[in-house]
Amino acid sequence: MKKTFVSILIALLTVALAACGGSKSNDAAESSAAPSHSASASASASPSSSPEQDKVEIIMTNGKGEIASQWEQAAKDFMAANPNITVKAYSQAVGDTLSILDKLTASGETVTIAMMGPDQLLNKHKDFGIDLSNEKWNGDTSYGIRDESGKVVGFPFAIEGFGLVYNKKVVEKAVGGSFDPFSINTRDKLKELLDKMKASGVQYPVAYQTEAWSVSNHYSTQFLNQAADPNTVIAQLKEGKLDLASNAVWNGYYDTMDLLASKEYNKYGERPLGKYYDDAHLSVGKGESAILFNGNWAFDSLKAVAGDSFGFIPVPVDNNPDNPLNNKIQAGPTQSLVINNKATPAQQEAAKKFLNWIVYDQAGQDFLVNKSQIISAFKNNPNKVTNPLGAAIADAIAQDKTLPFTNNYIYGDDWFKLIGPEVQKYIVKKVSRADLAKFIQDYYTSKK
Amino acid sequence: MLAEKKRLNRLGNQLFFTGPTMIAFTIALLIPFVYGFYLTLMKMATPVSPPAFSGFENYRAAFSDSQFWDSLWLTVKYTGATIVFVNAIGFALAYLVTMGIRSQNFFRTALFTPNLIGGLVLGYIWQFIFVQSLPAVGENLGIELLRLGWLGDEHLAFWALVIVTIWQSAGYMMIIFIAGLISVPKDIIEASTIDGANAWQRLTKMTLPLMVPSFVVTVFLTLKNAFIVYDINFSLTEGGPYNSTLMISMHIVQKAFMETNYGVGQSEAIILFAIVAIVTGVQVYFSKKMEVEA
Repeated sequence: MKKTFVSILIALLTVALAACGGSKSNDAAESSAAPSHSASASASASPSSSPEQDKVEIIMTNGKGEIASQWEQAAKDFMAANPNITVKAYSQAVGDTLSILDKLTASGETVTIAMMGPDQLLNKHKDFGIDLSNEKWNGDTSYGIRDESGKVVGFPFAIEGFGLVYNKKVVEKAVGGSFDPFSINTRDKLKELLDKMKASGVQYPVAYQTEAWSVSNHYSTQFLNQAADPNTVIAQLKEGKLDLASNAVWNGYYDTMDLLASKEYNKYGERPLGKYYDDAHLSVGKGESAILFNGNWAFDSLKAVAGDSFGFIPVPVDNNPDNPLNNKIQAGPTQSLVINNKATPAQQEAAKKFLNWIVYDQAGQDFLVNKSQIISAFKNNPNKVTNPLGAAIADAIAQDKTLPFTNNYIYGDDWFKLIGPEVQKYIVKKVSRADLAKFIQDYYTSKK
Repeated sequence: MLAEKKRLNRLGNQLFFTGPTMIAFTIALLIPFVYGFYLTLMKMATPVSPPAFSGFENYRAAFSDSQFWDSLWLTVKYTGATIVFVNAIGFALAYLVTMGIRSQNFFRTALFTPNLIGGLVLGYIWQFIFVQSLPAVGENLGIELLRLGWLGDEHLAFWALVIVTIWQSAGYMMIIFIAGLISVPKDIIEASTIDGANAWQRLTKMTLPLMVPSFVVTVFLTLKNAFIVYDINFSLTEGGPYNSTLMISMHIVQKAFMETNYGVGQSEAIILFAIVAIVTGVQVYFSKKMEVEA
């Protein structure tokens, strides 16, 4: 009796352990878009594919967790069109601090196509990619990401942009009629607009959210656009040749920030810091406030409330209506696809095929814009995103009203972790503007 | 021969009962810990580059990281605040729900429930409360302290963290205290009542000394939990405003994974482990000495 009981227990334990081991391989099969499935799909798609063609297997990683299912579907569609290529598609979970690329690389895999932000590509992974300068798609975009020597190393996967997001309904009510966001091209005109909105009954026209990445990585890098190439400004900073405290553009953006965050106009003016991201978007979405500083991704938080329409106003830096900085919004690639130089030549060729598939194949174009709702960097893509903020950026690109995306010229984690808290301290006047200027200058001279 | 067989038998029995736990412990804790320590002696420029031996370089960097010490000091303050409040409130609640009031079982369950909600969810719920609900209450009732969101002020944000921690763990500690309170012998309480001790004297002179074993456990748990807090910190304040509520675990995670400085981050984790091990060890050793027999 006792013996049977013991043997049953042992059997149970064994099964439990085996189950632990087994579940892992199941997961792996699932996340790799089921190769067996793809094999059958490819067989049915082109039964005449010659067996002597070499099979290639590539791994591609997606850093945008929100399009995980589209990414997997794209891999399947691409495999259907290219039966000799097997694609394993991985996606990073939203909010995961460790990138899927690092995880796979650490476990000994060679990721063939990796999605990464341009700042990662130019800093942390600067030895990762192969030269893509001679790819055909360069003819259809100007957003290819170049390294220091001018070679194109990153395929521009997603274009994003930011500016002053405004609720059209509230603003049109205040100005009494149709409103052209690009008519706000000086700081005084912005102030006038805010006053008009107050007069129309909006108590706080601005809901200024102060997350570190927003006030630092996005807002505080805008001054880099004072030169045609932001890299020249960064070079000056590194050499200690640029005095920010006396720099008109740098100061101008903080004058505008003071206006936006002031007690008079800002919903959170009395205590500007805090976790206001959700609340700010709710306020502007509902029309209780009208303006916040953010990018096209803000629509995800805005649309949850109302079907109101939204657009972008450029961030004014001074009172000169002819200053291009006052007349344009920032847009640029925020995610790039990079091909690993450690992959085999056959894998690299397959990866290049995938990039071309995104640009030139109808299914690829559909995947990028319609399914994933990403603003395409390519002129030949006929599709339009439904997100009104994304559409506003696409229009600005078409009208040549965009500035370089300065966030791509900095080291993102440093601006987020080191400079972000300093900007927040400036917002609550815990440090002066001169202190902030010195902090940023010291950061750059120490980076030299 | 017989003795040997017996010994083998005993070993088999021990392995049978502790084996599965030992295997799990080894895989999930021991091996990663040892490997982690090994990594602190290595230098890795990027996650992709192979580790190269660098001695105690990472520890030197960890000791000279000023934010590490700021975070550690903040964590010590947080630990102090939570130990006092969580245990005091947990004990008070336990005392109340063992007094024999009506529907005390319902209250026990209700007070324990917050502990069943994960720290992340709890943090987001309270973020909503601190940013939206309390300011609305303050606005309508004219309470100046609540009118502005707490998470934007460095001192109030710290206390927000403490409050959420109390709300989460006081119920759990209450359960441990209830077990302790129930096991206090009725006869000595009765005897002290006959001797003329009032309620306060009964509590401080009889009950509390007999409850020391419970306090050893609860203080240990609150101490350890406070030192390694991450989830509430992440979801409630994210270290803000301007890193003023950046606790030690969060700093380590940022160091390792955001700055991709694995070696230094891991070294700081080992230092934290040593500190927590020493502090809790000392606490358990000395408070065990305070235990008395009924």
